[in-house]
Amino acid sequence: MNKLIIFLLTTLALLPGLAFSQARTVTGTVKDANGALAGATITEKGQPRNAVAADEHGKFRIVLRGGTNTLVVTYLNFQRQEVNVKREGDVQVIMQQSTQGMEESVVVGFGKKKRITNTGAVSSINADEIRDVPTSSVQNALAGKLPGFFTQQRSGQPGHDASDYYIRGVSSLNPDGNQPLIVVDDIEYTYDQLAQINVNEIESISILKDASTTAIYGIKGANGVLVVTTRRGAAGKPKFEVRLEGGGQAPVRTPKFLDSYRTAQLVNEAYKNDGIPPLFSQSDLDAFKSGSDPYGHPNVNWYKAINRPYSLQANSNLDISGGTSNVKYFISGGAFTQTGSIKNFSTNTDGVNSNYFYKRYNIRSNLDIQATKNLSLRLDATTRFGDINQPYAQNVIGNIYDFSKIHPYSAPFINPNGSYAYAFDTQNQLPTINAQLATQGYSRNRRTDFNVLLGITEKLDDITRGLSLIGRVAYASVEQNTLTLFRGFPPTYHYDPRDESYHLNTGVSTGGYTYGTYRTLGNTDLDNQRTNVQIYLNYERVFNTNHHVTSLLLWNQESYRVDEDATGAFEVSGQVPQKYRGYSLKLGYDYKQKYLIDFNAALNGSDRFQANKRNGIFPAVGVGWNLAKEDFFAKALPFANLFKLRATYGVVGSDVALGNQYLYNQVYNQGLVPYSFGQSAQPANVISEGALGNNNVTWEKSKKFDAGLDMNLFNDKVSVSADYFHEYRYDQLVTPGNTPLILGIGVSPSNVGITVNRGFEETVTYHDKVGQVQYSVGLVWSFAKNKIIYEAEAAPRYPWLAVTGHAINQPFGYKFIGFYSQADVNDPKVAKPVGSVAIQPGDLKYKDLNGDGFIDQNDITTIGKPNLPNTTIGLPIKIGYKGFDASVMFQGAFGYSLGLKGTAIEPFQGQFQPIHEKRWTPETAGSAEFPRLTSNPTTINSPTNYNSDFWVINAYYIRMKTVELSYILPRKWLPLKINNGRLYLSAYNLFTWSNVSKKYQQDPEVASNTAGDAYLAQRVINFGLQLGL
Amino acid sequence: MKKFFYILLLVTSLGGLVLSGCQKTYESVPLGQQTTLDLAFDSRDSLGKQAMSYLLTTYAQSFYSGHNRVSGNYMDAASDDAISSASGIPAVQAIATGAYSAASPNADDQWARDYAAIRNATVFSVYINRVPMNELLPNGQSARAAYRSEARFLRAWLYFDLLKRYGGIPLLGDSIRQITDNIQLPRNSFSDCVNYIVSECDNIKDSLRTAAMVNSSTYGRITQGAAMALKSQVLLYAASPLFNGGNIDGSNPLTGYTSFDGNRWKLAADAAKAVMDLGAYSLMPSFNDVFVMQAAPVGTNTESICWMQTGNDGHGVETNNAPVGYTSAGGNGITSPTQNLVDAYSTDSGYAITDPNAHYNGNNPYSNRDPRLSLTVFCNGSLWLNRSVQTYDGGLDKPGGSVQQTKTSYYMRKFMGAFESVNSNPPSYSNTCHDFIYYRYAGILLNYAEATNEFSGPSADVYNVLYALRKRAGILTGPDNTYGLKQGMTQDEMRVVIRNERRVEMAFEEQRFWDIRRWKIAAQVYNSAPLQGLDIQLSSGGQIFYNLVPVLTTIFRDPQMYLYPIPYSEVIKNNQMKQNPLW
Repeated sequence: MNKLIIFLLTTLALLPGLAFSQARTVTGTVKDANGALAGATITEKGQPRNAVAADEHGKFRIVLRGGTNTLVVTYLNFQRQEVNVKREGDVQVIMQQSTQGMEESVVVGFGKKKRITNTGAVSSINADEIRDVPTSSVQNALAGKLPGFFTQQRSGQPGHDASDYYIRGVSSLNPDGNQPLIVVDDIEYTYDQLAQINVNEIESISILKDASTTAIYGIKGANGVLVVTTRRGAAGKPKFEVRLEGGGQAPVRTPKFLDSYRTAQLVNEAYKNDGIPPLFSQSDLDAFKSGSDPYGHPNVNWYKAINRPYSLQANSNLDISGGTSNVKYFISGGAFTQTGSIKNFSTNTDGVNSNYFYKRYNIRSNLDIQATKNLSLRLDATTRFGDINQPYAQNVIGNIYDFSKIHPYSAPFINPNGSYAYAFDTQNQLPTINAQLATQGYSRNRRTDFNVLLGITEKLDDITRGLSLIGRVAYASVEQNTLTLFRGFPPTYHYDPRDESYHLNTGVSTGGYTYGTYRTLGNTDLDNQRTNVQIYLNYERVFNTNHHVTSLLLWNQESYRVDEDATGAFEVSGQVPQKYRGYSLKLGYDYKQKYLIDFNAALNGSDRFQANKRNGIFPAVGVGWNLAKEDFFAKALPFANLFKLRATYGVVGSDVALGNQYLYNQVYNQGLVPYSFGQSAQPANVISEGALGNNNVTWEKSKKFDAGLDMNLFNDKVSVSADYFHEYRYDQLVTPGNTPLILGIGVSPSNVGITVNRGFEETVTYHDKVGQVQYSVGLVWSFAKNKIIYEAEAAPRYPWLAVTGHAINQPFGYKFIGFYSQADVNDPKVAKPVGSVAIQPGDLKYKDLNGDGFIDQNDITTIGKPNLPNTTIGLPIKIGYKGFDASVMFQGAFGYSLGLKGTAIEPFQGQFQPIHEKRWTPETAGSAEFPRLTSNPTTINSPTNYNSDFWVINAYYIRMKTVELSYILPRKWLPLKINNGRLYLSAYNLFTWSNVSKKYQQDPEVASNTAGDAYLAQRVINFGLQLGL
Repeated sequence: MKKFFYILLLVTSLGGLVLSGCQKTYESVPLGQQTTLDLAFDSRDSLGKQAMSYLLTTYAQSFYSGHNRVSGNYMDAASDDAISSASGIPAVQAIATGAYSAASPNADDQWARDYAAIRNATVFSVYINRVPMNELLPNGQSARAAYRSEARFLRAWLYFDLLKRYGGIPLLGDSIRQITDNIQLPRNSFSDCVNYIVSECDNIKDSLRTAAMVNSSTYGRITQGAAMALKSQVLLYAASPLFNGGNIDGSNPLTGYTSFDGNRWKLAADAAKAVMDLGAYSLMPSFNDVFVMQAAPVGTNTESICWMQTGNDGHGVETNNAPVGYTSAGGNGITSPTQNLVDAYSTDSGYAITDPNAHYNGNNPYSNRDPRLSLTVFCNGSLWLNRSVQTYDGGLDKPGGSVQQTKTSYYMRKFMGAFESVNSNPPSYSNTCHDFIYYRYAGILLNYAEATNEFSGPSADVYNVLYALRKRAGILTGPDNTYGLKQGMTQDEMRVVIRNERRVEMAFEEQRFWDIRRWKIAAQVYNSAPLQGLDIQLSSGGQIFYNLVPVLTTIFRDPQMYLYPIPYSEVIKNNQMKQNPLW
């Protein structure tokens, strides 16, 4: 950077002299996707000394001296461009962000590192690249963009659609122990808070993956760190920027259910298999088929009856930034709204909105104040607030899938006289889904996040040059409350068309004769505060132009209080504050950017452990060698601009564990039991012993090794980063599985678990241009595989039952070996389930692993893979031509398993689906894809009772994850004082290819082992306009 | 230098601010979550308030109400007395059909639950000594000793709960084990377990309250009678064929005694007699009142000795089990008693229905029967909530279709309030006491009769017990004051009578399931024929046809299933833990 400035200054100094020569003057503007770009360097080709810088409006004026008629435009973090200026007139240069230029800085913990001098495993992304992705949650936009970043989006519900994500897969046996640390402007955030943040406020996002970069976070660093920095102002006139977006969402895939006629046929067949008389007569079937009796023999597709084909979303943002040399500001406001997928059933009279929706408002103000020459202050304040709405009957749209709640022939959508119907042929006799949605009210979750950060930086150049002292105090709070507006079931009637009579529902779901009045219930269900204080000394200096030294010494203290009620039904209950205190040290040295060494360490404490087990040291070292800077290498491979080998090794920790806050304490639980003495028994307060404390408990540790290669070739046209990592995670806090129950009490986690996690990552980018067309293609590839080495598992009876040696969350189940034939059923030698419903031909046949002639728990073994993919890829492709930009990104996940149960797939629990028509029957025994139908939920054909690899399938998917088309509007089109404008069209989850759809009707990212009734994943198409002045 | 001063000032003030601001919330000793042993058993609390709360947990963890306990069903629905009306395979039915293994234990597996409660009881009985309670019992004895004995009773009761399921189990004594202690303990022999439970009962009985000492605030606490009743029950089981002479694994001391000793019946008889001799208990005049009245001296129930206290807890028993046709009052009819049970009831003259003297009429099967039948089972035509129960095909209480309803044409009636006729309109239930009784006087009498008959044959004492029970049941005295009992029975004949009397008297009280095991007749009971129910057809002329139908084929793997398997997970965690035979 220094070099550049010196270069710039000298060229500028020379300019006045040059102006006299006979030459043509060229004027123009430099822009990027967001508008004018100040500070770019414009050089005449062949005349390296003839260079100018673009002013704050991106305008430049250059006098040509040579004969190439070509300008070279360069700017940090942008791709170099050559522009032909033979023709007269104003030149418009549109710059493209470069990926992975070697001078590019990446944000790491408490500072930045240049790609060229970085030794650690860091991947980062400029938020510009994801700003157009039409999703409310940052983590969704990151899918496929960063190597080592694994995401799974479980639900598409407005406000609850944020993906789960992991850095380099998972390595902890602790169910909660794999969440990466999230750090926004050096302050810790929670998962939820990250999902709330507005992408428009973000400058860049980095993920820190190895020990070297995460060691300074010490006891919290073991799962990797996601570092977000927000945008800040730059000196200059106020810049206004407005982004207005609107779009539509529709489910990625919609479920298909069989109609009444086909359902009734299959129900009869199942009953026949079960030896129960058929439910429907031939005349019933005929009525279903012909649709001649819509009230007596209804045929309702409840999915279509309840859902609309699309819903809407809108996003508006306004930023103002600018400043003087003393004060810089970035002020931003945003509003995001999303409507739900169901039709509007609210009546005109009460206007109660029971539909799903999400509204979020974000406000941020980032101020930088240069108080004196050496003292600068920053004050960041941000708030996010909004509502998430959902129907009062929480899983009411799940009823669409649930055969026990409603059948396609249960009830008409509405009775002929306009009254609501109910599912009179089911056990619960619930009102129809539309009746519940229309009349029962909503549950509205309101959440307010507030963060403020005060920072002071004092340059201590007087003591020694390059030294500065930085102090920060940050406070973050979240308050969430739920307002429920609700009432009981509405009156519902069963209409009998034979005598045109109406029968009031008097069963368990009766609503009486009249509507109840709405009641409200309000509860604060989350209230947390985090206070963080950091003071650090920063030192960076170059000695003798060759020796570059950086160092940082940090003191950090945090108190986090989270008060919550998981059920949402009660007021929040206070929890013990969680306290951390730590010191971190960073030392870096490089010689001519050629030999690099970094040392990072943290001394951290967590009060979860006993005083003498509380503080740990987490050191890490990183080395790098820039081969391309060596003469021999430069001679042999002159096309390599950057060729850097790097390796890091270190230890990081985690204190996340189940159980009480102080794991060393045995805490006595207080509670309420329905037992008391005396004549009238009342529930009484009681005390009981809690889990045994463990005095020796301490943090979980992870030894991480990382080796990487960074390469830029052919004038940075090709850039490659590749990493191999090996993580040995030990002392994991898991509850020992070998404690006999005769102990009679639970035990706290002990430091016993050991796992290994290994993998590769690679990013390759190639960019070039053909004429005016610039393009780039890339590949982001990540692979991570873990294995349990030890978890104090009790030695199982048979080796195939052991969990140890397999991946974390490895599914276990039976091995499918075909369908039982009549001969199998008759043959006593063919193994059958013990004590279950008698096997019939067409039942799923499983392997008898221990050969005892019974199918029981001893015959389960590993089936498939864990639900978290072990491989993810991203394929970004970008093309730019003048003001046009197009990009598409494919994202895929491989190497995971998915199995659903209950309403997702089981007949009589879920609705009948096309796959049920491919059931086993004596005629189709050879080609069946589904076992014989049965109404009995406990047969061997039920994945709930007998999970197997018939149900758990090895899955993959590839999505066209994002598509973006944008056009920078020519200046002359813009009215008023508008400086720049851009139109864009973006899409999210546009197409999906997956093998999951062969068996399941759900999105390939839904959580395994669920009933598959999650809010459908959404495809979004969005149109936006960006204006700046 | 001035500048340096400012910087110094800044650094110190910032640091000072931070430290002073945070010190208060950064306690070096955690303050929350600190309900520890010292607070639970406070050495300064002469009232023992927290300790009393702790004891309540022990009660709540130890005792369970048998009402609809196993997957919503009575345990007896896993015997030959009833089946579940639920669709699919309810967990209780899986027990009757043998659908369980060590790896997938049955729904009645109590291993983890009981051991958790045992620890709780031990913690109380050890640490209560730290609490300087000065409360005294009405007789001047220390109340603290009584509370300690209550916990020890519960522990003994839990060991018995385990013993009847698994055979010999590890006895943990009074040590409270920590993470670092050895918990790889072996099972104790069956004999050791019996001796331990009996000695605990003997040791605590004198420090407990007597039944008469109970007042309205101590109502529900364990009394002396309970400890003696437990002893009677344990010794009865120990003397029974499964463990005494019929050990399924011959010389295995874990599964029973390795040799027969007739004197064990004597011990059992003496223990039952000791309860009878207390004079504190007597049979209630009304059979139904036994189950819906609170115990004396606070209530009027003189028969109840030890029970799980639920009080006037509503009408869950009624709504769960009453016939399904009473939609306004509620009735889910989950329990379907079998024809096998109904046939066990004699006629009102005391003769078995197979006896030619009984004058039993198969076309009018429910008239002139042992009155306990109609107080135990709803039959077609029984009165309930002002109308007759209709369990014929298509009747209100057996409507067909997919609604849960009886599979045998019977519903369970026992434990319900007397709601045959009610004044409310529409008919409804009112709150009723549903304490679940573990030991009652009638049971002690039956223990005594059985043990005495086995030890020394059918003496007059044995006959007298049966007379008393039959008299209270409402069976006719008969011309020769014998309540239909044949005089001069052999020991074998008397055994059949006593076992049947026990079955009908104690139906649904979690006795039959264990009785057929300890008598070692389970294989014959479960495997001889499918359980039976009735299909009742009502002709248009009002004529009723009773057709026997098989309702469930039960399976009992002999002799494996006489004991439950030790949970598989427990065996692999503990090298010392021996699995039961054949599991």
